[in-house]
Amino acid sequence: MKHNKERYRLIVLKVNGEEHSVAVKDGETLLDVLRDKLRLTGTKKGCNLGVCGACTVIIDGEPKNSCLLLAASCEGTEITTIEGIASQGELHPVQQAFIYHGAVQCGFCTPGMILSVVALIKDNPNPTEAEIKEALDGNLCRCTGYADIIEAVKNWKKYLNKKEPPSSSYDLNKFSTVGKSQPRVDAAAKVTGHAKFTADYNFNNMLYGKILHSPISHGRIKMIDTSKAETLPGVKLILTGKNMPDITYGVSPARYDEHVLAKDRVRYVGDEVAAVIAVDEDTAERALGLIQVEYEELPAVFNPIEALKKDAPRLHEKYKNNINTKVDHHFGDVEKGFAEADFIREEEFVGNHVYQNPIEPHASIAYWENDGLTLVLYSSTQVPHYVHYMVARVLDIPLGKIRIIRPPVGGGFGGKAETTPLDLITAIASKKTGRPVKMVYSRKEMFLHGRGRHKQYMKFKMGVKKDGRITAFKSQIYLDGGAYSSFGVITAYYAGSMIPTLYFIPNYLYEGFRIMTNKPACGAMRGHGTPQPRFAFESLLSMIADDLGIDPIEIRLRNAMDPNTRTCNDLDVRSCEFKATLDEVKKKSRWKQKYGKLQPGKGIGIGCGGFVSGAGYAIYRGQVQRSSEKKRETFVKKSEFPHSNAIVKISEDGTAAVLLIQAAEIGQGSSTVLSQMCAEALGISLYRVRIRTEDSDISPLDLGAYSSRTTLMGGNAVVMASKDVIGKLFTSVSRVWNCNPQDLEARENQIFLKSDKSKNMAWEEAARKYFNDQGPLVGTGWYKPPEGLGGDYKGAAVGTSPAYSYGSSVCECCVDLETGKVKIKKFTDFHDCGTPINPQAVHGQVKGAIVMGAGETIMEDVLYDEKGNILNPNLHDYLLMTIKDSPEIFSGIVESYEPEGPYGAKEIGEGAILPVLAAVAHAIANATGVWIKELPITPEKILKALKKKF
Amino acid sequence: MNLSEIRLHTPQTLNEALELSVKIKEACFLAGGTDLLVDIKQGLLAAKDIISLQEIKELKGIKKKNKEIRLGALVTPNDILSDSLINRYIPALADAARSMASTQIRAVATIGGNISSAVPSADLPPPLIAAEASVKLQGLESSRKVSLSEFFRGPRETACKTGELLTFILIPLLPPGTGISYLKFTLREANALAVASVASRVTLKDGKINRAAIVLGAVAPTPIMALRASEFLINREPSQSTFEKAALLAKEEGEPISDIRGSIWYRKELISVLTRRTLSEALERAQRKNRKEK
Repeated sequence: MKHNKERYRLIVLKVNGEEHSVAVKDGETLLDVLRDKLRLTGTKKGCNLGVCGACTVIIDGEPKNSCLLLAASCEGTEITTIEGIASQGELHPVQQAFIYHGAVQCGFCTPGMILSVVALIKDNPNPTEAEIKEALDGNLCRCTGYADIIEAVKNWKKYLNKKEPPSSSYDLNKFSTVGKSQPRVDAAAKVTGHAKFTADYNFNNMLYGKILHSPISHGRIKMIDTSKAETLPGVKLILTGKNMPDITYGVSPARYDEHVLAKDRVRYVGDEVAAVIAVDEDTAERALGLIQVEYEELPAVFNPIEALKKDAPRLHEKYKNNINTKVDHHFGDVEKGFAEADFIREEEFVGNHVYQNPIEPHASIAYWENDGLTLVLYSSTQVPHYVHYMVARVLDIPLGKIRIIRPPVGGGFGGKAETTPLDLITAIASKKTGRPVKMVYSRKEMFLHGRGRHKQYMKFKMGVKKDGRITAFKSQIYLDGGAYSSFGVITAYYAGSMIPTLYFIPNYLYEGFRIMTNKPACGAMRGHGTPQPRFAFESLLSMIADDLGIDPIEIRLRNAMDPNTRTCNDLDVRSCEFKATLDEVKKKSRWKQKYGKLQPGKGIGIGCGGFVSGAGYAIYRGQVQRSSEKKRETFVKKSEFPHSNAIVKISEDGTAAVLLIQAAEIGQGSSTVLSQMCAEALGISLYRVRIRTEDSDISPLDLGAYSSRTTLMGGNAVVMASKDVIGKLFTSVSRVWNCNPQDLEARENQIFLKSDKSKNMAWEEAARKYFNDQGPLVGTGWYKPPEGLGGDYKGAAVGTSPAYSYGSSVCECCVDLETGKVKIKKFTDFHDCGTPINPQAVHGQVKGAIVMGAGETIMEDVLYDEKGNILNPNLHDYLLMTIKDSPEIFSGIVESYEPEGPYGAKEIGEGAILPVLAAVAHAIANATGVWIKELPITPEKILKALKKKF
Repeated sequence: MNLSEIRLHTPQTLNEALELSVKIKEACFLAGGTDLLVDIKQGLLAAKDIISLQEIKELKGIKKKNKEIRLGALVTPNDILSDSLINRYIPALADAARSMASTQIRAVATIGGNISSAVPSADLPPPLIAAEASVKLQGLESSRKVSLSEFFRGPRETACKTGELLTFILIPLLPPGTGISYLKFTLREANALAVASVASRVTLKDGKINRAAIVLGAVAPTPIMALRASEFLINREPSQSTFEKAALLAKEEGEPISDIRGSIWYRKELISVLTRRTLSEALERAQRKNRKEK
């Protein structure tokens, strides 16, 4: 084969001290060769353009991006990958430092991050903070907020000889394992590169797929000619809308409006038109270029206010005036409330279009096992069950014929909270080809798939008494939805429903409109629909405080929610220590000495927020069943099936508890906190618990990582299953000891008589005995949210939850008054998350949310040209905060106990971002004297406002 | 967006590289690859043949010879920022190198590539132009020296002809009493292109500004010299009000465009702020040097 001789060359690569001879194409990057040929998948592909640093390897002592190196030019160099860092089974001290300092969350950026650190400390074992930031300025992290990574690097030398974790000052002593900052159960796998994410899996005889996206923002497909592409060697299958089921899919059952591939119409630049399945990704990509599509272009609309106009282009026949969702909520009487007010202020705010940008791109792999009867789908998703449900719908097969596997997920933030075209196309293509099919999004495709935060146009009006107490609040919000529904119905409701959970608002009116535009669909991003309205509300409240000469923290205290309250929109608040968070941030940040007393250019600001601890109702109605078999269900105020389910299975020798629950570990730490709760309830050490969450064949249903639900809902199911085991075990032991099961207690791997601790038995001994006499020791548990949550009005279900979190953040910043540039210096945050199951994990969520939220406030924005093309679909131009942008953060937890939560716990992951935006905006206003009401608050907007004012 | 079809050529000497580039007319040179490979991956550049310069040892290293500092085209930002000659004679170039992209990119990118790519926002050209640097363009038969201020012809367009390669950057040793400063304005602290950048140079003589140069980056199709602003400074005593006036002149000399990083208006505002700040820092450096040399 002369052709191949030309295209391949044989090279020898020295990786981790071992030589590999490998045939490569000239254009192959080192990254692809390491991953695909040497199967060293610890090196990750995040952006493929040299920005994210997930592909960092050390070459002759220097960290470099392997995505920007040609493998052929790396001959003769010493290459070190993450697999070469630990030696003889001993972790490198840097790896240990990452584990114990909470520097690992999703773990996708971790290998690259660790390699950059290892290269740094080799020359400079005692780096300063500035040197650490310099060395890590090419490694983006979306989870941790960098703070714990910096701590890990500062402390790495402590792990040279010993391995004990540092004691944490936050730990609670009420429990044995709960309340302790235990290292993550998946941390060791993540610091070594052993953790396999979806795209790291390879199967024999596997094919690869790529999608052809629409290049125009609106049009009809007149013709698709795939004949040329079919003749390209290596192409196995080409799919278009014609080969696809006629069944639509989506998130909200009332608005399933997406087709796997466009049937005859495209509605945004990026809409899926065709897919090529080929022997490798390159071939598939080249074949895309050979597909000819003829479009009849239709007029498009990109702005929601324009889209509402009478003669605006219509995206979907069924959404009149392009209104996808309309909300009309009125509680109390706002006109009366405004009449009672001593002071009224009205302001308009505009949000931004933020994209989640997890560092791991979406990926799916599908094959059929069991003689083609069972679909196996690997998916990088936050919601394996909803993917399961939706794939069953589109393929029209029972859920029982599908096995969903969710490997570790490299961050989601809502961007992986729904079924993707990758899930559906791989499933269909693997059926048609009889071979495994893998598909992975490029960074640009991630932006095109979208599902980021809705940009909201907000008109707010607030009335208060002289003392600052709110008498009425009225809001009108237009949400830019993009081309499809996605989560948007729920988003539109959330935008209004969460406002009354923080403050007493006697009279409340919210009008919301979600509008379709010819852009990628927006979905549910961290805080789902609520961060922008919260930013606007909090900003308005701070403006009014200044207007009235009331301290901004004081005005919040005067309006703050109390525990055990029903809000004006019928949400039931149980635990609520909001006021304590305000008191604490005030003290800790030395607010009184600073607010109003800083020099020009320096500012301090406050923001507050909170969120649901799990949605009160599942996204679809009825039972777990193929949707086509269901009758139309009317809404009843109770859950048909449990939202979280767990099985605890004790090993036959009694030394291990295997915890089975489908809860999606996406970096937030759910596997760790669920394991801790399991260990606590069983009375055994954490290391004896092994959690299995990945495989739907093994682990029972959990609705997944969305609406900040896992700690509370998954935790309750786990505790119940563990108690089921303990009940059985105690009954068995009580027979031997001739006592009542209630007389027994299990703690620290012992079972003993409460009244006489000297009467005891090793836990495993008791478990072995149970197995000898009664077979497998297994417990089951489940959790359904309380019945009757929410009011009786339309949309009352959105915002319901068993519990609500609360938090307050103080931001301090410097603004260069000549350029408008903002430097976020410091954050002080206190949260009410109920009992922190793992304080370090709680602080990790808070720090990550602060950096994400601060970046969202000042630099993140998806931008479009006049034809609907995204101008910045990459990590060069879409700006995530780097380690050099990240502020110093203090995160604190106030004492609180949530009766509905396991061990008193509630959420932290999403609520943590809610105070951030307004805190930053307020700090900037405080530093500059100008309020910027349009996100992101860029230096240019600040300077413009300053020039206008002075 | 497909790298898979490229052919890589790896000449071992400069001569071989030049011969190849004559033989394969459409070929592109690859130095660090941090621009080139990104462009190919994004489908912005359809390159089939790539001539890697990475094996060519003669293009590496920083040397002082006679009254010049000579940098090989393959010198990386990391080489520059850690080099004692550069830090001593032209610290502004080290500052510019340090401000580039990220650690990983600074280890791979090259000065030759940063100049040859001719991206308007490139960091190294402004301080080099302020230092009156020139580049050596080598052909198979001949070579020529071109002042860097005359090298750029437009975005991604240079004086380098087909068959020529930028091989060396030559920086003359600065006269006593000279200081250069480089500042760039970015929207984040790392991995960010300049929205605007300015390199200013002042040479003091008898308490007055004897020579001055203000070079603007990212605000015109190429880095440009703010001539009127620079000339304004000559023979004046350095002061904040003088610098203020020069900054206002420089602001009018920029020809920026509006894009996702900033509007025309904003970039002009930045020019004036950065000009004033770089002039102050350049002055400080010039005075410090003067003191040292006395």
